[in-house]
Amino acid sequence: MIETRSRIRLRRWRPRGLAWSIVLLAALAVGVLVGGSVSNQLRLENPDRSRVSELRAVLGRLPDRPLVLVGMDGDLGTYPEIRPALRAVLADLLAHDARIAMVSFTPEGRALAAAEVARLADDGVAADRLLDYGYVAGAEAGLVLAVTDLPSPPRPDNPVGRAVLADGDGIAAFDIAVVVGGIDFGPRGWVEQVATRLPSLPLIAVAPTFAQPELAPYLRTGQLDALLATVRDDAAYAQDVALREGTSDRTGQSPAAMLVGMLVALGVIGRAYVYGGPPEADAAIDEEDAA
Amino acid sequence: MTGFADGSPAGIAATWVSAAVTIAVWSYFVGGGRVFRLAQYLLAGLATGYLVLLGVREVLIPQLVSPLVDDPAQPLLWVALVFVAIVIAVRWLPDSVVALPVALLVAATAAFALGGAVVGTVLPQVGAGMIAPTETPIGLGSGLLAMLITVLVVVGFVHGTRTGRLGSSAAVAGRWLLLGGIGGWLGFLLVSRLALLVDRMHFLLGDWLGLVR
Repeated sequence: MIETRSRIRLRRWRPRGLAWSIVLLAALAVGVLVGGSVSNQLRLENPDRSRVSELRAVLGRLPDRPLVLVGMDGDLGTYPEIRPALRAVLADLLAHDARIAMVSFTPEGRALAAAEVARLADDGVAADRLLDYGYVAGAEAGLVLAVTDLPSPPRPDNPVGRAVLADGDGIAAFDIAVVVGGIDFGPRGWVEQVATRLPSLPLIAVAPTFAQPELAPYLRTGQLDALLATVRDDAAYAQDVALREGTSDRTGQSPAAMLVGMLVALGVIGRAYVYGGPPEADAAIDEEDAA
Repeated sequence: MTGFADGSPAGIAATWVSAAVTIAVWSYFVGGGRVFRLAQYLLAGLATGYLVLLGVREVLIPQLVSPLVDDPAQPLLWVALVFVAIVIAVRWLPDSVVALPVALLVAATAAFALGGAVVGTVLPQVGAGMIAPTETPIGLGSGLLAMLITVLVVVGFVHGTRTGRLGSSAAVAGRWLLLGGIGGWLGFLLVSRLALLVDRMHFLLGDWLGLVR
């Protein structure tokens, strides 16, 4: 077989699969390190602010001192992606003088909720504005039960718990629900089990990017009132909140590192196209060459 | 910054342990199989311990044991207690005994999931997908395009029937459209996973080493 010169050159520079991983890590490290110096040239925020506007519109319609329920069902594997967006939502709600309660229907969500409640308390959020309902077992069955009956709060004297009790004793007592999704459980379960029973309750969803194709149709039908489900929308919203609060940006992601990672991924795809297989196939190619 | 670990001794220890485990996982890239497996066992052990603790502390004691101690005259809770005992002793009991609580569990889960999916997803989405006569030209065009793509993808799944030249072409087009859709979804997945990797790198260089803010 006659090979072109470019193909031969590519064959000479052919790192193995593990080497690609190290190239990726090194490139990401450089991207993170130089991220600050190129922050004016590279922006992660989505210039289309429609998702941010939708979210702001929902928050703008809330009553004074709203009761907010955060359904914390992210998972440990994907939570770092949505953490900046969720923290921006919580900061925005607290700026609206909101009273926040958290509940989880997954074990991993429970761990994350406990960590976030502790972080908010460390940041100086008054205890009478926070309530942790803990873990509710039963997944979707537990969610249905929670519509009318949330578990007793650990501190019966908590003002948020008393306010919820005064208005009923379930999700129906809240002015809005912020649903944090993960791989197993999240906004879709809330739409199917809660929105069908409480159609007047506004639902905001914060989910990882891979959930965007699944959740976007709910936004179109109005079953979700607002959705943050891409890294770029998350960054745009976090920047918006930071500008309003006059604090530093909470995006957390380095645009330079994301760009470098994308370029490495394109390199892997291009290489697979040229050689007709993933980098792990190198050993087989080497054997062919030796033969 | 993750914001979970502060500058206290416990926070500093947590940051160092997290960094060490992250590097242990990445050691797989340079052939550190044993260290990587150690990190895997650590994760499995911690997850199991956490689940047991959560189940006992936040489910069994507050929702089953305490109510029964306070008021033993609750027949439903006694039934639940028997079911819990059966599930714990599943290894030593005959299948016919174990089948009842397991069947109840599966049936209840399926009933909630199926009912919710039909009422909350299928019907509203089918309704939203209908092309109304009052649609704008753009809306009408989008609806027709969506319908065409749906038909082609469905045709792409038809195998083993004589469809003729036109049908074969439509099936090929449907399969390519399906591949395009899967490719788009993989793109979303790539961005999602890359964001996680960048976050971990930011943790190592920022929270741990203090090289970036």
